[in-house]
Amino acid sequence: MLSTKSFNRLTKGVAVVAALASTVGLAACGSSRAATAGGKDSARFLYATGDETWNATVKAIVDAYNKLPNKVGTVVAEPIPSGSDYATAMKTMDATGNWPAIVDMRDTVTYIEAGKLAPIPQEVTSLVDDDAYSAYKDGNVYLTPSTANNGELGFGIVYNKQYFKDNNLSVPTTWDEFIKLMQTIKAKGQTPLATAAGEVWPSGQLWKPIASETFAKHSAKDGGFWADVKDGKAQVADLKDDLTKLKDIIDNYTLKGWQSTLDAQTTTLLVNNQAVMATTSSGLGRLRDINKVKPDFDAGYFLIPDSEGNFNVLKNSVGDSSQGLAISKQAKDNGKQYDIAVDFLKYYYSVDGANVIEKSGTMSPQIKDSSKVTRNTEIPGSTDYYALLDSPKLKWYVNETPWKTFSTFNTFFRQSRIAMQDNQSSIDDTIAKVQAEFDKDIKG
Amino acid sequence: MSTSLSVAATPSKTSHKSDSAAKSSTMSAVQRRNRWMMFFFILPMLVVFLAIVIIPSLQSIQLSFTDYDGISPTYNYVGVDNYHEIITSGRFWNAVKNTLILGIGSAFIINVISLVMALLLDRIHHFSGFFRTIVYLPSLVSAFIASTIWKYMLNYNFGAVNSILKKAGLEGWVHDWLGDSHIVVWVLLFLICFTLGGNTTLIYLSNLQSVPQELVEAAEVDGASGWQVFRHVTWPMLAGSVTVNFTLSLIGGWVIFDQIQVLTGGGPGFVSETMAFFIYRLGFGEYRAGFGSAAAVLLFIIVMITTVITNKYMRGREIQA
Repeated sequence: MLSTKSFNRLTKGVAVVAALASTVGLAACGSSRAATAGGKDSARFLYATGDETWNATVKAIVDAYNKLPNKVGTVVAEPIPSGSDYATAMKTMDATGNWPAIVDMRDTVTYIEAGKLAPIPQEVTSLVDDDAYSAYKDGNVYLTPSTANNGELGFGIVYNKQYFKDNNLSVPTTWDEFIKLMQTIKAKGQTPLATAAGEVWPSGQLWKPIASETFAKHSAKDGGFWADVKDGKAQVADLKDDLTKLKDIIDNYTLKGWQSTLDAQTTTLLVNNQAVMATTSSGLGRLRDINKVKPDFDAGYFLIPDSEGNFNVLKNSVGDSSQGLAISKQAKDNGKQYDIAVDFLKYYYSVDGANVIEKSGTMSPQIKDSSKVTRNTEIPGSTDYYALLDSPKLKWYVNETPWKTFSTFNTFFRQSRIAMQDNQSSIDDTIAKVQAEFDKDIKG
Repeated sequence: MSTSLSVAATPSKTSHKSDSAAKSSTMSAVQRRNRWMMFFFILPMLVVFLAIVIIPSLQSIQLSFTDYDGISPTYNYVGVDNYHEIITSGRFWNAVKNTLILGIGSAFIINVISLVMALLLDRIHHFSGFFRTIVYLPSLVSAFIASTIWKYMLNYNFGAVNSILKKAGLEGWVHDWLGDSHIVVWVLLFLICFTLGGNTTLIYLSNLQSVPQELVEAAEVDGASGWQVFRHVTWPMLAGSVTVNFTLSLIGGWVIFDQIQVLTGGGPGFVSETMAFFIYRLGFGEYRAGFGSAAAVLLFIIVMITTVITNKYMRGREIQA
């Protein structure tokens, strides 16, 4: 039997041990997490989800790399948590100090400036086409392309080819023809177009092709439209005609419920014949998704032409203001994880890696040996997409946004456009609010 | 002085007092030990709580005066610019309006419905366990999951709600429930009330079962009607749980986030943003942690003021009751 004194001593000891155990346990949790940030012989590859084709591509390339007999280590594909947007997921990850080795990077300038990324070595960049990447102002390369640098060629329209054939309709070659096409479809009792704004980001799928004619008029030498707005050579009001066109399409030709429709749902709306056409920002990837959902669906793809029949497509901004693959500073500090990341990227930009990427439905990045890569033409409609690359009407334009606060402005602009489309504010009020936000975020 | 005199005059008392002093000294030593023990027991949680709640919360006051983006290692002090921008922003006031509608609205509706449900459950004697489980069940589903289910059910083109309305020949009632800016906040209010009422009902029910039956019977013997019994006997006895439930519902309403994030993402446009969502969107989605912190400080002040006022009113009501 324990005396009171012994009992007190015992309980006090338990309390102290419990306190210590909890504290040490927490510390242990931290160190355990740090150790598994890639593990001793593995490195994590964090990638943005949302596009099924890109998910499949990441899985395919990671699986292929992990099967290599002479790999430096294992790569673990880690999707950004479902339900969280990219910026939130990245900030949460950064706050926990739990960076993966390889990152599917957006908002790159913010993270370069914060010292979170490591330079990509020359042994990787030497495999990539010289035009497909560029150095940051400090002379280092922090970003290499994850897919073909086809800019916003994926911002277009997927359509029901069979419906077009049955109704003697053809792909529009000018803006006026595009409007007439929608009028014809509407007159036949069908809904011409499905689009999505249930999430904020897909709102650009219709907007960017419409505004591209205005954007393309601004000099590439100075950086493009937004750079001109910053320098006072242009203003948001220059987009008034484009916003009016956008509003007209939304009001007259778009399937109801677009406000709460999610991007992925437009595929279902198309294959269920609830709309004849649908907007997309993933081009080839969307064609693959359609084929997966309904293999016998005859899908086609076209770009919205401008008034003169040109396809104005935003060129990839190579380097810091683009998106692509990056290596984290945390991996560099770790050493082993950096070696794995470099080895993985070398495979990513090899001919074998490019073939794996192509087979999964994504167009591979431009590499030095691109001529040896086998293109995947099995997906219905993919020939439409590839044909655009050879079209004489294809005009690349530049619209650089190298300011780390542009993401703040862009989110506001997207939401404001949705509010305008939804009749919550007039076009003029929207322009005034967006200009004020630009002045505050970018100029200020 | 008087103590020493009495000690000298009465040795037996002195001995008794010194025993009692020794006892008291032992007691206080034990108490001191126990206090240390208690402190050690709460220490781990205290450390965690300080590290992940209190210190970051205090730091957000400091950050609210900066242009911190949440990522960069450095930031600049911008004075009260963030507060000025928030207060002059239409987006902020829209979020405040939504928060008031959802916070106060859900607090009232949840309490009324829960009280009615509790009164019904209190009178049910057959299968009472079954009915109580049914009423409480929605509270066991996380707000995220419940909202996801509702999101599918209310989808304009595929959702069960619109499909049923169409099949029932009620085409005119079909709506884009989560995309129509005129009704979306009211739809959110309905969904929030639907999922948050279980705990409130449970508190009312437990309080109802502790109302002395002799008081109810005495009132009935005196000829009071059912309504009069409720108004003059049951209702005053529920005063404490009304205070607790209303305060909890109100606080829950101020910080509604999950439902907004899942169901509308604050849209279409900015129309269904609440204060909590506004803070999240700015702090995380738009890389404006300093600005988001300023909004969080304002939300904290609003929650504190309204909670104190509500509590004061409710407590006063309890005393009167």
